[in-house]
Amino acid sequence: MRWCLALLVCCFLAAVNALSSSGSRLLAVLEDTEQKSVYSTLWADLEARGYDVSIESPKSEQLSLFKHGERAYDHLLILPPKSKGLGPSLTPKHILDFMNKDGNILLALSGKSPTSSAVSSLLLELDIHLANDRSAVVVDHFNYDTLSAAEKHDVLVLQRPGPLRPDVKAFFDGEGVLALPRVAPQTLGSDSTLLAPVLKAPATAYSYNPKEEMPAADDILATGSQLNIVSAMQARNSARFTVLGSVEALEDKWFSASVKTPSGEKTTTVNREFAKQLTGWAFKETGVLKVNKVEHHLATEGAELNPSIYRIKNETVYNIEVSEYVFDKWVPFEVPGEDELQLEFTMLSPFHRLNLEPTSRTETGTVFSTKFITPDQHGIFSFRVNYKRPFFTNIEEKHEVTVRHFAHDEYPRSWAISGGWVWIAGLWSVIGGFLAFVVVWLYSAPVADKVKKTQ
Amino acid sequence: MPTKRHAASTTSATPSTPTTPTPKPLSSGPATLKTNASAAEIAQHVWQQYATTTPQRTLLLDAFMAFLVLVGGLQFLYCVLAGNYPFNAFLSGFSAAVGQFVLTASLRMQTSDSGATSKPSSKGKNARFADEQGEEQRTGYSHERAFADYIFGSLILHFFCINFIN
Amino acid sequence: MHLWQATVPFCLLAAAALPGAAASAWGFTDATVAVQHKGAGVNGGFKEQLTASKPLSKPVSIIDADTLRVTLTAQEGSSPKRPHQAFLLLKDAHTGLDISYPFTVKENGKSRVELTKKDLPIQFLSLPEPVDARVVIGGLGTSDAYDSSVFQLSIDRNPELAVPTVETDRYGKKPEIHHIFKNSPSNPPIVITLAFVAMVGAAIPVLAGLWLLLGANVSHLPTAFKSAPLPHAVFLGSLVAFEGIFFLYYTSWNLFQILPAVAIVGAVAFISGSRALGEVQGRRLAGLR
Repeated sequence: MRWCLALLVCCFLAAVNALSSSGSRLLAVLEDTEQKSVYSTLWADLEARGYDVSIESPKSEQLSLFKHGERAYDHLLILPPKSKGLGPSLTPKHILDFMNKDGNILLALSGKSPTSSAVSSLLLELDIHLANDRSAVVVDHFNYDTLSAAEKHDVLVLQRPGPLRPDVKAFFDGEGVLALPRVAPQTLGSDSTLLAPVLKAPATAYSYNPKEEMPAADDILATGSQLNIVSAMQARNSARFTVLGSVEALEDKWFSASVKTPSGEKTTTVNREFAKQLTGWAFKETGVLKVNKVEHHLATEGAELNPSIYRIKNETVYNIEVSEYVFDKWVPFEVPGEDELQLEFTMLSPFHRLNLEPTSRTETGTVFSTKFITPDQHGIFSFRVNYKRPFFTNIEEKHEVTVRHFAHDEYPRSWAISGGWVWIAGLWSVIGGFLAFVVVWLYSAPVADKVKKTQ
Repeated sequence: MPTKRHAASTTSATPSTPTTPTPKPLSSGPATLKTNASAAEIAQHVWQQYATTTPQRTLLLDAFMAFLVLVGGLQFLYCVLAGNYPFNAFLSGFSAAVGQFVLTASLRMQTSDSGATSKPSSKGKNARFADEQGEEQRTGYSHERAFADYIFGSLILHFFCINFIN
Repeated sequence: MHLWQATVPFCLLAAAALPGAAASAWGFTDATVAVQHKGAGVNGGFKEQLTASKPLSKPVSIIDADTLRVTLTAQEGSSPKRPHQAFLLLKDAHTGLDISYPFTVKENGKSRVELTKKDLPIQFLSLPEPVDARVVIGGLGTSDAYDSSVFQLSIDRNPELAVPTVETDRYGKKPEIHHIFKNSPSNPPIVITLAFVAMVGAAIPVLAGLWLLLGANVSHLPTAFKSAPLPHAVFLGSLVAFEGIFFLYYTSWNLFQILPAVAIVGAVAFISGSRALGEVQGRRLAGLR
């Protein structure tokens, strides 16, 4: 009994400590488990945030992402292997299946050694491209660390990235510089809405294969901000796949290293803070949205809540309460600066697309609402909030309602329309004339008779 | 029925058709009109024929029909001039006039026996009586039965029009 | 981030202005920029010397099939040398777009790059302002790299040709849509309506006048009421009641309220009507009608 209770309390505690919105089981894949101590601060930070970190070698026999057809882990952190691949249990197919089952993945790359072809083909599936020879490294003669890479210029020192666009929330910004040693750059396919760069290389950066003495002009494919140091992909099921170009940035020694750019002051890196931001986002501790409540009703007092039928030209109110998860709690969601949460009232195509305004706040959510008049078209419509933005999990709320035509007793009465008065008068004069005619027909004596009689 | 016939036979001694004072233009209508008469002459002749041969009761009925034409025409003219909104009001107001006209025309057909069908006066009393009886047998209905039907139809028409005008 | 990047060339310029601040610095000499018009001779077109310290005052413009050629000799300190990085970097200050074109560099530092509009990304073709053309020269080791604007490149286009645009689908807000309602039907001018109402109303007096002219009368009313008072009164009353019920239906009642009333009045009208019309028939057969 006591054992039972203890277990219950344990479960409860675990639930309280589980900080990610989507589970706490984290598998870190590390080829050389001896290397574990190199990232000790990272493991400690993750465990402190409530993750249940298990570190496995890709060669391990019992390693499997799935158990009884279900995910065995919620999150996957892959550190770059030195060998050709990630082993039989981490093939690209397994990893994509893991994502399809809502698992999140953070993949770290390194420019130190060529990236394995298995990883490269996995990234190609997601439209993330590596350099052709898979062993490129980013250098920048303007933003490098003069203390540790005075000769090779391959330790980039960069500011944390601001917002990607004015209408996108910045999840990774802040003061301080990052040290990114030996970055394996990625370029992103331009057609995918699911991909978003997290950290781009500066304009003067370029990538080259350090095995070659001098980069030939033809070898340079991408330069400057086309090179991504960290990129993110969020699938349609909101599973996240994050690529970090420099695994060394996660090492203990870079978490608080002193760096100096050619033109700058000597400062301490904020890699540890950035690692928290990055793993937090990658494992769904930030940027997770939840719809608590959807309400729609007529704009009259005491109207029925969420009716299944509306009439055309009804004034309608729509409310949606949205929460955002920030590390360990749900907070009211705030739409980023130039962005809008939009409601569509659609039948095949939207008849209305309206910006929802925040109207009230609860402890954990913001209520966004708008008021509109249903179109003068009857049919099956749906209230649709389709909020898909970079770095936020998708919101897709669809509530179907019928919009009916006027009932026969909802039209204005005929006397209320001045244009119809003539016909009303016509109708009633016909009726009056009829009554008079009935009297005349019944009781009129023939005149001729009278004439004859008088004669 | 026999009582009615009896009543009719007793009163047939005094023929009550208004055409009796002027039998001539009625019986010899085509003869007075020359073959090369002008259109105005024809129209005038037709009008005179109508005015003199139609019984007074039928004239009253025709006046009511003229009233219906006037009311219907005004409503239609208004629709043409000012638009048909609200259309249901137009339909019911106009069709009340038209429907009443049609019903009244039916009543006229069933009751205006002495207009075109009868050849009064020249054939004498028995002929007049036989003619009336013959007509009743032909239609199967008396004037009053026709009038009751007319009232029934009119009330239904009025109900539909009022219902439809909203 | 932009600020950060913007400060870099400033610092570098400052460093270039004070030689000796660093051990050595990358730079270039013998630099020219040339625009070769298509079809023009070898010497046709535009050619200008570039200096490392100051950008050209006027923008260099390319249009259609023009070829832009930049040649220079890279040097470390004052000796020509092949650099690790020698780029022509085009950068737009407004949009933050950037793209680099590597120079083809020989061992002696002589470098050249050729560029036509075809090489430019589509996004660059529709920029309204000239872009900043910078030369970036850098190498491994301790020498300071060079990054400075050397001229403005104006990417002109033939005004008759459509501006190429690139349609990339990105998640973001979409334009608002407000349903456009059909116009509600309007009433005709009240004057016309009232005039026609008056005309329709006047039709009843016209009918009355016409009937009087034709000699209509109600002379049989006393006779009828004498012979069958109740049926006639009730029959006429029921007809009026019918129309009255219809009027109530028009103004306030619903169908289920009028149906019983119609049933009662209808029965009354039927019974009284057959009596009253029998009387009328009696009059007719008596030759009174």
